[in-house]
Amino acid sequence: MQEKKDMYILGIESSCDETSVSIVKNGTEEIATVISSQIDVHKDFGGVVPEIASRHHVKNITMVLEECLEKANMTMDQVDAIAITYGPGLIGSLLIGLEAAKTLAWLYQKPLIPVHHIAGHIYANSLVRPLKFPLLALVVSGGHTELIEMTDHYKFKKLGGTLDDAIGECYDKVARVMNLEYPGGPKLDKLSKEGNPTYKLPIPLHDDSYNFSFSGLKSAVINLAHNEQQRGEELRQADLAASFQKVAVESVVSKTKKAIEDKNIKYLIVAGGVAANQILRSAIENLAAEENIEMSVPPMKYCTDNAAMIAAAGYYAYLDGRTADLTLNSTSSAVLE
Amino acid sequence: MILYIDTSSSYLYAAIVSDNEVKEEIKQEYGHQLSKVALPEIVTMFESSNITPQDITKIIVVNGPGSFTGIRIGITIAKVYAWSLKVPITTVTSLEAMAASSEKDLVRVPIIDARRGFCYAAIFDENDKAVLEPTYITYEKLEEKLKNISRYKIISNDQEKLPIKAEVIESYDPNFIEIVKEFKNKNKINPHAVNPNYLKLTEAEESRL
Repeated sequence: MQEKKDMYILGIESSCDETSVSIVKNGTEEIATVISSQIDVHKDFGGVVPEIASRHHVKNITMVLEECLEKANMTMDQVDAIAITYGPGLIGSLLIGLEAAKTLAWLYQKPLIPVHHIAGHIYANSLVRPLKFPLLALVVSGGHTELIEMTDHYKFKKLGGTLDDAIGECYDKVARVMNLEYPGGPKLDKLSKEGNPTYKLPIPLHDDSYNFSFSGLKSAVINLAHNEQQRGEELRQADLAASFQKVAVESVVSKTKKAIEDKNIKYLIVAGGVAANQILRSAIENLAAEENIEMSVPPMKYCTDNAAMIAAAGYYAYLDGRTADLTLNSTSSAVLE
Repeated sequence: MILYIDTSSSYLYAAIVSDNEVKEEIKQEYGHQLSKVALPEIVTMFESSNITPQDITKIIVVNGPGSFTGIRIGITIAKVYAWSLKVPITTVTSLEAMAASSEKDLVRVPIIDARRGFCYAAIFDENDKAVLEPTYITYEKLEEKLKNISRYKIISNDQEKLPIKAEVIESYDPNFIEIVKEFKNKNKINPHAVNPNYLKLTEAEESRL
């Protein structure tokens, strides 16, 4: 039998505030990854400023490409294909990665593979262990909160998602009300461990769907903080963090549980930056144990935005015949299909 | 063989110029489709003239001012190209390209409207000396600077938006031969350092000041 040729894919990710380039072998083995983060730039503004993010992407793109190739000890000629996040995300940011990817695909005559950002988050898991189907992916990040069912590689079915704010966005906004520095989500997570859920907050979208809603919860926290202040009561920060986490996590867990049971899922993966949240993580671990199913959460470095996950997803997208020509465009609201 | 790229407006202006001859050129308005078509249109230019990317000996790219998103498209293509194939690259401003495309018979004042009473403008005299370097300025202040100049011409594609009057107003139609002639010997820049010249802070930064 003829041995299958190894495939090296160069991935580029620039959908939000990280410029990242990575080379991954056969969709599973990370050769080298470089991430240029802009967190410090946006901290002063309390969140990502799209125009500033775009300006940094264009400034950094060739340096990140060069550093990645050097780290991998490879040249562009040795790369077999180029995978690019085409959406969703900040349009101005996406465009930098897109134009870079298209230019390289042309200059080196390599296939161009469009990758959906969420597909990337899901395939971050394949850098750790092979995916098993049918699986349920819970994607939780600053921009996304989604439940996706997969029956095979690159066969996605979105069961539900957030109707308004993403969970990570909600965490950051609540953290801002509590005067925690951006990005406040992780700080809120830490703080909540010192408190008790003594404040009463509504459980968001407690219905029969697989959807989420976090804007109501966010408003409830803002109102609560405001009312306490009006009454001259001191806000018990740790208790508020714990109360908020309790309902936010309960909402995610209950919808995930419903999906597991309805779809007879045996394998659950958690992906996205909020997968690093300790309380959520242990709640999902408990759920998996309770349902007696396998679960996988990629290590932190693969949870936040990175190009390794895009290169990994790109491999399976390529096997599925998904390549694009040079008219490929970015889109801020791409649908995963 | 020189490659010129300007995506700083709603138009794609690109050309391959060799020995004072335009081999291929593009002057086409694409508006919001620019991000989609800029690269494939440039590729078509190479293919129809049988020129390979390796044949290019210098890239001249417009680094602004103009549409922020637009500028970044051309800059990204150009800097990735220059970096990967090690082609010398240099930048020119859109206002310099506008001035270079017009006859030097008068003082030239290229203007790009920037809304809310502001514009991007420069003033070049008959000897190509920049009396006013490319800048972000109110129309009011620009008019003040023009007071002392007896005769000048405005070069602009935003004529209907200009509150300034002038004896001569030209619309901008790039003269690739002249632009390349004027800037082909400009010092090359490290591709990593090829960046947009927005001439303007972001709104978030402005409101913080």
